[in-house]
Amino acid sequence: MYPIILLSVLGIVVLFLGFMKSKNILLPATLLFLALALGSNFIDWNQGPLLYFYGMFSVTNLTLAFNAIVLISAFLIVAMTRGFQDDEEAQPAEYYGIMLFSLVGAIMIIGYEHLIIFFVGIEILSVAMYILTGSDKRNLRSNEASLKYFLMGAFATGIMLFGIALLYGATGAFSLTGIRGFVSTAAGAQSYILYAGLLLLLIGMLFKVSAAPFHFWTPDVYDGAPSIFTTFMSTIVKTAGFAAIFRLLSHSFAGIYDFWYITLAVITVLTLFVGNVVAVYQDSFKRMMAYSSISHAGYLLIALTALTAQTERSILFYSMAYSVATISAFGVLMLIAKEKSLDGRPNESYDAFNGLAKQNPLLAFVLTVSMLSLAGIPLTAGFWGKFFVFSSAADRGLIWMLVVAVLMSAVGIYYYFRVVIASYMKEGNTGKIRVAPFYQIVLVAATVITILFGLAPGFFEQLL
Amino acid sequence: MNPTLSIFYFLSFLTVLSALMVVFSRSPIHSVLYLILTFFCLTGHYILLNAQFLAAVNIIVYAGAIMVLFLFVIMFLNMKKEDEEAKTNLTKIAAMIVAGTLFVILFGAYRKSIIGAYNPYEYNSQVGMVESLGAVLFRDYLLPFELASVLFLIAMTGAVMLGRREVGERHF
Repeated sequence: MYPIILLSVLGIVVLFLGFMKSKNILLPATLLFLALALGSNFIDWNQGPLLYFYGMFSVTNLTLAFNAIVLISAFLIVAMTRGFQDDEEAQPAEYYGIMLFSLVGAIMIIGYEHLIIFFVGIEILSVAMYILTGSDKRNLRSNEASLKYFLMGAFATGIMLFGIALLYGATGAFSLTGIRGFVSTAAGAQSYILYAGLLLLLIGMLFKVSAAPFHFWTPDVYDGAPSIFTTFMSTIVKTAGFAAIFRLLSHSFAGIYDFWYITLAVITVLTLFVGNVVAVYQDSFKRMMAYSSISHAGYLLIALTALTAQTERSILFYSMAYSVATISAFGVLMLIAKEKSLDGRPNESYDAFNGLAKQNPLLAFVLTVSMLSLAGIPLTAGFWGKFFVFSSAADRGLIWMLVVAVLMSAVGIYYYFRVVIASYMKEGNTGKIRVAPFYQIVLVAATVITILFGLAPGFFEQLL
Repeated sequence: MNPTLSIFYFLSFLTVLSALMVVFSRSPIHSVLYLILTFFCLTGHYILLNAQFLAAVNIIVYAGAIMVLFLFVIMFLNMKKEDEEAKTNLTKIAAMIVAGTLFVILFGAYRKSIIGAYNPYEYNSQVGMVESLGAVLFRDYLLPFELASVLFLIAMTGAVMLGRREVGERHF
């Protein structure tokens, strides 16, 4: 609750700081504000389930942990921006302000107790992403990506709103508890309008986390957006989005599991298949990361489809592992793409990584660890993330889905290792890349977290 | 049939008809005009529900401000017939199948559901008045109401940021 209020106010403060002549204060101020929000997040820690504002917003240890992942990811990403000093056309005050505001939306959809809060939250998050996608105004691909994302996102919002309206028509309630009350009655379990509403709402939500067959915007948008905002999109929006879907399904619709699990299972398998198989054919590292984010949405959907008592923890651990690995991968990509730029545009193909390890062993190591984590190799956090997700599916007896998931992880190893092979084995003439000290700290911190949780996943359980 | 019910059916018929015309008419200007008609019909429904404040807001904001904006944008765009994107038959057939399936599913869902009825003797007819609306908005729904301003602030910041003219850009 407290981070919502703090971030709304501090976002305005950042916008006002933009009036100052010197832009140097913006980065430290934003980092300080994010740290403040993270600190205020833990005021409610272990206070038990709390409801704020007449049952609109709920706080539990689980939602606080999700908030912490989102805020820490944002902290790492903002630290990597280096104040946008390299880009003279950048408008850092607006970027930072919008990023802080979008976190308000993310926290709202993590802890919503009422569908209105969910709707406003997801709109705050989406509108901020449409703008940040198009922030590179002179790049035609950024413009195209922004427009495409906006039009499709607006359509998905319409579908989602229609679903919420049908749910209200069927149950007479907007609150998750009210809907659960209706679902548990005999009439509720047979209400077809409820089914239609749930499906439409799910379609809208799955669009936002880019599950197939609603994934068509993802590659273009992730590819066209400036890399720093792609990182923001693929970590924060995904974490918050899955927390929101989990909340809806577990709190309100666990009673009609038999109805929705078939739909979700089909979508899961399709997402895994599309994400992993198409990623193999990409030549650009950034585009591969876009498809990889689709495939990780698939793994997270396995945990949702299973919906056991372990699901919340496995989603939490998985999104943490995925966010950290993605941030360090994009961090390395941004450095190299800038170093090897072609015609003034960043070069994001696999070839840019050739021979990286010779002069920049640290960058190559960071990249390798993040790729290992994304591929799910043991001794990294990504392995345990996949392990928890798969074990919750096994508890539910979804063996056929596990077979598909394991096969697709094997496909994943191929494309994640391509860039590792390029940086260690191939010949190339990458000079020594100068890494700013702060940037280096972020990369090392992300790598240490990945390895630490890979060695001792039980540590995470104790934190919760 | 009492007069309220006949007005309700007439309004509903008009709403559905004008909504369909929005989709079917060829010229975008006609579509917008039909959309205005749809909003007016919805306003009639609000009045039937004894929600005068919502009715007034619907007229002022939607039928007034937003639709005028729509009209202006369409006039600026200067759309011509030949600019219409040609769609292949495959696209048309696929769209028809998808839309038809959705229609059948929703129709079936409506037909099979029992919509909850209210008790006319216990129903509070003042529920749509501005007084109870304000009480709900500023007490129960205070948080989403306030946070909607964050949404508008983002949209405004973004519009200014994206719309600002850069040095060396073409001036129209």
